Amino acid sequence: MKTKSLGYLVAALGIVLTAVGLWLARTFPEAAGAMAALPYVLIGLGCGAFGHGVGALANAAVFRKHPDVAREKAIEEKDERNVAILNRAKAKALDRMFYVFGALMVSLALMGADIGVVLLLVAAYLFVAGCMVYYMCKYQKEM
Amino acid sequence: MKNRLEALRKERGIRQEELAKALSVSRQTIGSLENGRYNPSILLAFRIARFFDLPIEEIFLYDEQEDTL
Repeated sequence: MKTKSLGYLVAALGIVLTAVGLWLARTFPEAAGAMAALPYVLIGLGCGAFGHGVGALANAAVFRKHPDVAREKAIEEKDERNVAILNRAKAKALDRMFYVFGALMVSLALMGADIGVVLLLVAAYLFVAGCMVYYMCKYQKEM
Repeated sequence: MKNRLEALRKERGIRQEELAKALSVSRQTIGSLENGRYNPSILLAFRIARFFDLPIEEIFLYDEQEDTL
């Protein structure tokens, strides 16, 4: 029931965002700077939210008709091997991301990109590294 | 870690799907356990032991040679 309500809410939010985006694009066709991109960002977010909401509703409908499928999916999601595989894959992806971020930062700096863009990327890199340290400390205490 | 899961399951005439359902894990997990590709958590090991009504060490065989710590 909770999933269904959330599905309706997210789908409705998606429609609203898309409608606002379309309205902004039509009303202010000559907007400049960030305002020029905002309608299309809203349309993108709206379409994504609508798809996500409708997907959740379709899932809820299938699970209501076939409780055995719902149980199987719940087992698949909680299965300790699947969880271990997912966590290992995420850890590997994070390792790769550090290299990719590093290479991207150096490339952008060498290309003479705007200092703001490079600093934003550095901040994102440090944020991700900080998250890793935070969770390491947290789990050191917990485990 | 080696284990006797496949032998015990076959001895009792249980299919992988049935064992997976009873233990609330996926069938692939049972397959991986039987092949020795995946070592279960202590909780799952206990659930398996309870299911077969055997002590853990009669199902999972600890090998000191394999333990490289």
